[in-house]
Amino acid sequence: MRSQRPLTASLVAAFTAVGIGAATSLAGVCGPFTDVAADAFCPFVLEIFTLGITTGTTATTFSPGDNVTRLQMAAFLSRTVDRVLARGGRRAAGDLFWTPRSAASVPLTTIASLTTFGSGSDGVASDGADLWVANNTDDTVSRVRASDGKLLETWTGATSAVAVLAGPMGSVFVAGASGGSTGQLYRINPAQPAGAVTTVATTEFPSGAMAFDGARIWTTNSSSVSIITPGPVTPWTTTTGTFVGGVSPAGMVWDGSNIWITDNSAGTLLRLDSGASVLQTITVGSGPVEAVFDGTSIWVPNGLSNSVSVVRAATGGILATLTGNGLNTPFAAAFDGERILVTQYFGYAVSLWKAADLTPLGTVPMGPGSLPRGACSDGLNFWVVLTGYSALARF
Amino acid sequence: MRGKARLPTLALSAAAVLLAGSAELAGVCGPFTDVAADAFCPFVLEIFTLGITTGTTPTTYDPAGNVSRLQMAAFLSRTVDSALRRSSPRAIADQFWTPRSAAATGATTVGMEPLLPACDGADIWVPNVASWTISRVRGSDGKLLGTWSPAQSPVAALVAMDGVFVTAGTLPGTLFRIQPSQPPGAATVLSSSLGDNPAGLAFDGGRIWTANALGSVSIVVPGPSIPWTVTTVTAGFSNPIAALYDGANVWITDQGRGLRRLDAAGAILQTVTFGPAAGFPAFDGMNIWAPTYNSASVLVVRASSGAVLATLTSEAWPVAAAFDGQRMLVTNYQPASVSLWNAADLTPLGTVLLDSNAHPWGACSDGLSFWVALRDEATLLRF
Repeated sequence: MRSQRPLTASLVAAFTAVGIGAATSLAGVCGPFTDVAADAFCPFVLEIFTLGITTGTTATTFSPGDNVTRLQMAAFLSRTVDRVLARGGRRAAGDLFWTPRSAASVPLTTIASLTTFGSGSDGVASDGADLWVANNTDDTVSRVRASDGKLLETWTGATSAVAVLAGPMGSVFVAGASGGSTGQLYRINPAQPAGAVTTVATTEFPSGAMAFDGARIWTTNSSSVSIITPGPVTPWTTTTGTFVGGVSPAGMVWDGSNIWITDNSAGTLLRLDSGASVLQTITVGSGPVEAVFDGTSIWVPNGLSNSVSVVRAATGGILATLTGNGLNTPFAAAFDGERILVTQYFGYAVSLWKAADLTPLGTVPMGPGSLPRGACSDGLNFWVVLTGYSALARF
Repeated sequence: MRGKARLPTLALSAAAVLLAGSAELAGVCGPFTDVAADAFCPFVLEIFTLGITTGTTPTTYDPAGNVSRLQMAAFLSRTVDSALRRSSPRAIADQFWTPRSAAATGATTVGMEPLLPACDGADIWVPNVASWTISRVRGSDGKLLGTWSPAQSPVAALVAMDGVFVTAGTLPGTLFRIQPSQPPGAATVLSSSLGDNPAGLAFDGGRIWTANALGSVSIVVPGPSIPWTVTTVTAGFSNPIAALYDGANVWITDQGRGLRRLDAAGAILQTVTFGPAAGFPAFDGMNIWAPTYNSASVLVVRASSGAVLATLTSEAWPVAAAFDGQRMLVTNYQPASVSLWNAADLTPLGTVLLDSNAHPWGACSDGLSFWVALRDEATLLRF
């Protein structure tokens, strides 16, 4: 096999070729700047120039002795945050500076039992290495490897699984409907060989979202929330939170202090206390579904008004109501540290925003009839449940 | 139960340590006597704790003083460094060290003449040009997981879409695909009509670009059926060997011509000339780091403008660059070594000599470690 080696020979030959032109390097005292001394402060100036945080006051001056106005400071801090997030994420080290431009660039992991009704808004969750997918029609949970999309395992016995939550207590939790008006919480130990899930609690009929507050697991139900407290013996204790006047919880997030739910019928976002009493009601758009928390704000896709409400978690104030950018029955939001992805259920697409300044990054079609629903990120890629294709898409 | 009983004791001793510690910092807000212990104090305390400020003296912060642009540069630069250091997987893994010698690196035996590997976040894919194999090595422990056997000599790997894409240095050129979710075996030929002798390749979110050493660039469009459609552009190219995508444009390095920015059709928009020969560059999100093979330098080029920000002095024959979010690694063919820079301020972090016959070639990062192909030792090095 060693006989055919045109490449190495050719590359080495190419490497010996002599090029033309000389490097045009920067001729200042400190980088391009003639007014900054090459002293102990120069490396700092050089760093913010290299990173594009400053461009100088002219191409060759930095004006080191000038003061900074608050407006200039805003530009400097904003660029600093952008550069840190861009470099600190997994995507930079993975050389992943592209975003898929079309459905043809989005690989699918087919999961036969994943259908239109097979997934709630939290139908997929990442544990950092693998994805866990709730399959409603055959009562299973699929484990998919994030590095290559391989279907690794199928767990059984998760009756009418609609939502999945990965990570708490080293486990994967699954909410399923067990018939009538009741539901069940299932537990998977990912370190064990795939088999049947373990039932750990009884709940009301789940509606497809879950959250963990550091001690207890919360599920949204068709007209209530369940709060499940892990204990030494099963079944674990379940407390049911009901609401005066009734609600239709569809999405749920934990912001580090409070649980929030979206009320799909009232068009509101509700901040709850630890006992599920409503602390604050924020009017968003019509038909809000699965929200996501980005560390500062809660992004709420409003399914019936084709908008996304961005709400400051600390205050409940609405920062912005986003429209356009392909919004068409938005369903679920996901966050990767830099970007927010929102699935467009009947728009057969996903839309992206830069999370730090709310600028739209575009919309990518997922294919006719793809019906994108739940979504999550593993830091490198987004993962989207395409219920119309019975598949998990890597985006 | 014993854990519960011990917890308050631990909490008490932690409190005691904190008290003792704060006794050393005798200011009102941390060490500072001129900052009130009010709502602003935690902000001052944070940038002091992170080393972003050292104060105007050890006990004063001068809270009402203005900030000059020079001082601001120091604050922002330290902010970036501190945030990146802490957000890296390396900090979480307590990996603040860098190997200082060849003996301190990890090694996995792969096929003969490994060239340009790619990392998928979990595993490393290594094309071995002389043994006509592609090795899959697990990043967490360096175990060889599997070996694929394409029917040609594989040169460079790229992770994108549903697989690992590999060029083969044939005339005309070949593009293979491996589907990692499938067991090891053969590799699928997607096209065998690329330009002659492809080497490096890049993905722009829709299409795969290959740099073909005998004078062309090929653009491969994924499609439902194989072979995939290929457009090959020759106009103006000399010896393209590497390709990268900066989020807006594809760039290639063209031997004897320099670094070239291309439009969506492969036409040359801009040439950043340097000599004598270009290696395999890496993009850090803002700048392109281009090793200039055989001329002992690495160029740092602003991707948005093509301006050369700096010409860094390197070892004699730098070959390929790789970025881990904080640091840029450059492999050196001779003397066999790897060099590191702080990618934010361009300061050199040192060079580690390897076995003199190792001949390092391509490299990639999984965020935690760099992985370096040692061309003449059939080895993938964890650095």
